[in-house]
Amino acid sequence: MEKERKGFWETIAFNRRNFIKLLVGGAVGTAVSPLPWKLTDDIAIWTQNWPWVPVPDAGEFSYAKTVCTLCPGGCGVKVRKTDNRPIKIEGRTDYPVNPGGICPLGAGGLQVLYNDNIRFPGPMKRVGPRGSGKFMDISWNEALKELAKRLAGLRRQGRPDAIVAVDGNPAGTTTSLLVQRFLKAVGSPNYERIPTAEDTYSMANWLTTGNKGPMAYDLENADFILSFGCGLIEGWGSPGRVLNAWGLWHSNPLARRVKIVQVEPRASNTASKADEWIAPLPGTETALALGLAHVIIREGLYHQGFVQGHAFGFTDWRSSDGKEHKGFKKLVLDNYSPEKVAQITGLKPSKIVSLARAFGRSRAPVALCGRGKGDLNGSLYEFMAIQCLNALKGNINQPGGVILSKPIPLSTWPEIQADSIAQKGLEKPRLDKAQTLQFPFTGSLINNLSEAILEKGKSPVDTLLIFSANPAFTLPDGGSFRKAMERIPYIVSFSPFKDDSALMADLILPDHTYLEKTEDIVWPRGLQYPLYALTKPVTSPLYNTRHNGDTLITLAKLVGGGPAASFPWSNYEQALRERVKGLFESGGGLTTYDQSAPAWKGFPSRRGVQSDYSSFEDMWKKLKSGGLWYYPAHDFGNWETIFETPSGAFEFASSRIELALNELSSRTYLGAALKEMGIRAKGDEVFVPHFEKGPVAEPESEYPLIMVPYTLINLSSTWAPNPPYLNKTLFDNQLRKDDSFVEINPQTASRYGLKQGDRIFIESPKGRIAVRVNLFEGAMPGVLFLPLGFGHRAYDAYERNKGANPNDIVNAGKDPISGHPVWWQTRVKILKA
Amino acid sequence: MMKEEKGKYKYGMVIDLDKCSGCGTCMVACASENNVSVRADESDKERSITWMQLFKITNGKPFPDTEVSYFPRPCMHCHHHTPCVSVCPATATRIDYNTGIVSQIYTRCIGCRYCQAACPYHARYFNWWDGYGLAKPFSKGLERALSPEVSVRMRGVVEKCSFCHHRLMSAKSKAYAEGRREIREDEYIPACAEACPTQAITFGDLNNPRHKVSQLIKSPRAFRLLERLGTEPKVYYLSSKSWVRKMADNYLPNQFQQVTKAMT
Amino acid sequence: MDSPLISEDVKRCSAWKFFFWSLPWLALLAYGGVSAFLCLFMGLNQTNMSNIFAFALWIVFDLSVIALGAGAFFTGFLTYIIGRTELKDIINAAVIVGFICYSGAVAMLGIDLGQPLRAWFIFWHANVHSMLTEVSFCITAYLGVLTIEYLPLILENRKASEVRDFRLFGHNLHHIMAVFAATGTFLSFFHQGSLGGMFGVLFARPFASRWEFYIWPTTFFLFILSSVAAGPSFTILCSKLAELFTRKKLVPDNVVQLLAKISGWLLAVYMVLKIADTLAWVYGIVPKAGLTFMDFYRQGPYGVWLVGAEIIVFGIIPAIILLTPKARQSSGLLILGCLMNCAGIVLNRFIFVVVTLAIPVMPFDRFWSYLPTWQEWGVALTIIGYGFLLFSASYRYLPVFPKEKELNPAIYS
Repeated sequence: MEKERKGFWETIAFNRRNFIKLLVGGAVGTAVSPLPWKLTDDIAIWTQNWPWVPVPDAGEFSYAKTVCTLCPGGCGVKVRKTDNRPIKIEGRTDYPVNPGGICPLGAGGLQVLYNDNIRFPGPMKRVGPRGSGKFMDISWNEALKELAKRLAGLRRQGRPDAIVAVDGNPAGTTTSLLVQRFLKAVGSPNYERIPTAEDTYSMANWLTTGNKGPMAYDLENADFILSFGCGLIEGWGSPGRVLNAWGLWHSNPLARRVKIVQVEPRASNTASKADEWIAPLPGTETALALGLAHVIIREGLYHQGFVQGHAFGFTDWRSSDGKEHKGFKKLVLDNYSPEKVAQITGLKPSKIVSLARAFGRSRAPVALCGRGKGDLNGSLYEFMAIQCLNALKGNINQPGGVILSKPIPLSTWPEIQADSIAQKGLEKPRLDKAQTLQFPFTGSLINNLSEAILEKGKSPVDTLLIFSANPAFTLPDGGSFRKAMERIPYIVSFSPFKDDSALMADLILPDHTYLEKTEDIVWPRGLQYPLYALTKPVTSPLYNTRHNGDTLITLAKLVGGGPAASFPWSNYEQALRERVKGLFESGGGLTTYDQSAPAWKGFPSRRGVQSDYSSFEDMWKKLKSGGLWYYPAHDFGNWETIFETPSGAFEFASSRIELALNELSSRTYLGAALKEMGIRAKGDEVFVPHFEKGPVAEPESEYPLIMVPYTLINLSSTWAPNPPYLNKTLFDNQLRKDDSFVEINPQTASRYGLKQGDRIFIESPKGRIAVRVNLFEGAMPGVLFLPLGFGHRAYDAYERNKGANPNDIVNAGKDPISGHPVWWQTRVKILKA
Repeated sequence: MMKEEKGKYKYGMVIDLDKCSGCGTCMVACASENNVSVRADESDKERSITWMQLFKITNGKPFPDTEVSYFPRPCMHCHHHTPCVSVCPATATRIDYNTGIVSQIYTRCIGCRYCQAACPYHARYFNWWDGYGLAKPFSKGLERALSPEVSVRMRGVVEKCSFCHHRLMSAKSKAYAEGRREIREDEYIPACAEACPTQAITFGDLNNPRHKVSQLIKSPRAFRLLERLGTEPKVYYLSSKSWVRKMADNYLPNQFQQVTKAMT
Repeated sequence: MDSPLISEDVKRCSAWKFFFWSLPWLALLAYGGVSAFLCLFMGLNQTNMSNIFAFALWIVFDLSVIALGAGAFFTGFLTYIIGRTELKDIINAAVIVGFICYSGAVAMLGIDLGQPLRAWFIFWHANVHSMLTEVSFCITAYLGVLTIEYLPLILENRKASEVRDFRLFGHNLHHIMAVFAATGTFLSFFHQGSLGGMFGVLFARPFASRWEFYIWPTTFFLFILSSVAAGPSFTILCSKLAELFTRKKLVPDNVVQLLAKISGWLLAVYMVLKIADTLAWVYGIVPKAGLTFMDFYRQGPYGVWLVGAEIIVFGIIPAIILLTPKARQSSGLLILGCLMNCAGIVLNRFIFVVVTLAIPVMPFDRFWSYLPTWQEWGVALTIIGYGFLLFSASYRYLPVFPKEKELNPAIYS
């Protein structure tokens, strides 16, 4: 060691001079050479062009017009493209529903189109256990053959009714009708829809007005808006339209023409931004509506002409069997004095009186129903009570009021060719008991279907077809439908997305997304005039997907027999075009829109609309390019002819309920009939809107709190996946990492010793979820508010396992008469985590 | 310190909080327009990037008098002694007095974050991660929505609202191609203002008395965020509610003037 | 093994002992190396810094070590410019400590940048209005000066000095050291000041904002003053630490006493101005922004005790200790006084960096808190390991303390 080291230093010493020269010279030389400077510069340039930072391809910019179908609002959107690549979604200004603006979900739509992680690349077959998300690719041919074989087999066994379809497409759309038709043609009566506020509304309207048209309000021309929990600025109706109206209402603070009152137990955005916020106890809204009616009647603020000339059951009435019944007026005056209503709702009597007077003294007051976004059904009696308020003011079929209209004049297809198997199948009773004497006015009851599946040892359903719906996620009662799905032998998903329900499917026949296909929008939710729109693909399909309509037509042909004969079209577009002919034949209607003359503006005075096309071909061409047909005029008044109730008038007391009850009780006795229909009231109240306590009544001692779910405009809570960009808009007291929050009044929280951010369990008889506490003064004491849309078991890291799904604990029970789930009043308790 | 020039244009924004519904469309439209990255955990608000950000406020009153409202907060494009511009050591952010727009040059930013410390509005965002490409979860496919008009940021640089400056550029080129010298009021609108479903956001040239923004800022309802600090933001707010206005700035007792009926 | 490198005049421990002594510091360096690698390779997401805490632990460390390293330029100033030649007995130690602090801070700043490879843009695209530009220019230049000041000492190494050119070069450097001391003083005044200016100019953050004289906010002057007050104290602490570990007396008492006295006087002057500045801020800047003094101390852990701690406990008390001859002559109180002085300056830097950012300005904004990650601690603590290694290596191989032999007659008899 010693030697070596010495040698080293000697060597240095020997070459010392040279070494220093080399060192110094080298350093100076390198420094003055361009090398280090060039390298420094190059490295900086490299950081500006890192190869892993994408450089988006540039191209020719263009816009493609279409319509958004992520919700039933149907806003016009234009998609900005470079060459053929969509890069942004914006609102259309040449479309009457939403002049320019859109909602956050619509703005984030491209992330639904483009996200590889949540889309099926093509038809697939399950290989892993259910829910594992393990699938293998198969060809369209194989997939369709496999399904057709199964369906044909069931038909051969005489069990076509074991085929069930769940359809989330908006009612009346061509795809929805094709699903319905397919089921009928194979011979199954079990067509199920996901219930929405529109279902309750059309039922309530059917009972009060006899009208089967869609939900329609002339909001822009109203001067007093009484919203029973509608999230007017939180996605209710057609968000683009209602938010635009909101802007119009507030455009001149000096001359506000509209007063907005929000009825809701939570300081939602709508409640806060409204002129007045009324917070009754959850589930007592009906009592409030009737309390208002009481004051309006008592003080004579109602429309005498309408009530005397065009109403039935306002005063005491006589039924077909000759019995005398108390009328709406007497019952309301007897039972819903402000003091009584104050006791039920927790409001001050003076507030009820002043609100009733404000409503009663307005020129065009309109009371609205459908909680939150309106994606969930409501309670039938409540909707009827609200419609009665509108009727008291005679604001039915009036400018600025409720619009009663015929359904949009689309052609109907020829009847299906039911073969003998189908005929026999269709005669079998529905599994969900809808449309029976027990639930005479309800089209389908998916909550009853899951009960039917779960209560039997063997699932009566063999094959479940799911279209544009996510029932494993969106239905209440602790995921009862998900549990039911686990017992169904064979599930087919037609979803383009790896949603919670698709992950449980055995076969995937993926649809295009809304930006890749043509489909129709039939009367956007709540719009005052008929509007029919077509989407136009803004890009060719990105994956090996097929239009559900085409898939169904092919499938029907493969099944053969009646189904094949019932689907004479070669593709979806043919079937669509056949329906559109009706629009042309109805005469009138526009296919273009001029922003400077908003459709709502002339609506009160316009009586007809000349068509802006010459022939069907011309109209079809214009419809396909602009995506739009609408008829912005209405035949107002005509109270003599508009009501199609048995009495021919607006029915404050429903003779249809009376008839139904008579028929049912004729088989048993009245008490049993009432119980079957879920009505707790007795006597004449049964026929008129009345308040009764919710269907589920756990002891308050065990479950001292009430849980109310609510919806957010910036969080998808239905079938559509939530675009990741929307996560940016959620506050961190709504979602923090993987925890969602319950809104709770600080006063209530302190009773449990809870602080902001604490983790708790909320438990109902249906289940238990874990959430964090968000102290919110705007939450009614004693009530827990949970947002809907969290807690997916599917999709990718942007959504999976983020937050808790309130549906896991909603204890819905059944709404009287309609049988639909009741979402708004689950009794719960808090457990500390 | 820096010379403030009087420019020809002075673009600004007016946000009507009476109309604002707090829906968040502005945030989504902005992110989508400007290729803003998105991570699996966007609840980490200290690190998520939101050029346009909603702040939720409440009046603090107990139930049932509680009210909530929102402050949509883009970059304020401060006109006086722009706090971020004056501190940037590498001149990576500048104010163009001819438009009033405060720009950010991503390829020049060294990521020292001094500008973030200088901005009291939290309008500046650092790229703590690689946004696209190396992002986790592997945002497979989402990069197909990227716009070629706005460069994708690399990690380690600061970004912020640009009043959609690229839209001004394309409006100018369009006008130029058509032989016009001036662009029309409606030709240059940022993505947030365009998307707002309640038309709460108005945009235009504050120097031009004919533009709607110039008229709106004269309203007694108008105010700005932290106006007393003297940053001269070019983003104005309108509200007829006293408690909302009071939230916009700090006041010593008795300094705040209530909004009266006459004012609205 | 390494004895040929060690001067024949002094006694040093065995190579093995030195090796074991180095191990913990090397381990710290390795920890820091891993942390730095992660931060550079994976990005700053390895830290708990955020858009709220854009500056955090590292900047606190940077500002602190730069302030504490001020002993180098200030001792140089006193030695070469003022002519207190007795300080030559400690100037080497001061320069080494300064070099460690500055080189460490610059390295840390390099990791703190989001785009370290573009760091030179500050020079190329300099914004002359930015205090940070001033800081960058001065620190870079001053690090060069420190290197030059350190160089003659290195060239005095036994083996290096065998080279005639080195010897000559070193000797010549010694002669012109006054020029470098003057340059260093000038540069240091500016960057110490600009570091303070960086926060004082944040006029939109009332907590940090201060009045301006010409173009410099008061923090500019306060930072200079506080750094020259604390720097000598830190130099004393370092030499005391060296004495503790080497079990030798290395610096003459009169030198230590002189530095301590100067440190004490400067601290006293600083405290007077700091109090005046605080009052001007409380009654000027703060109400102008619509706030009251107490508004800043309502949220999170930062109460008004911070002010008391900074001004009284770590300001006035150490100033009294260092200014009282009896107290500073007691070795225990001297060390306590120096420690409190240094702690005061670290606290001051912490308040300006972290508390400024933690306190929201918008009334509807909220208070955020911050805790560093292990990677942040790794990078920050490495400076300590690096400091111990470089200082002990310098002590071992270079004639750092010229009076070592003279002061330790028992050992060198």
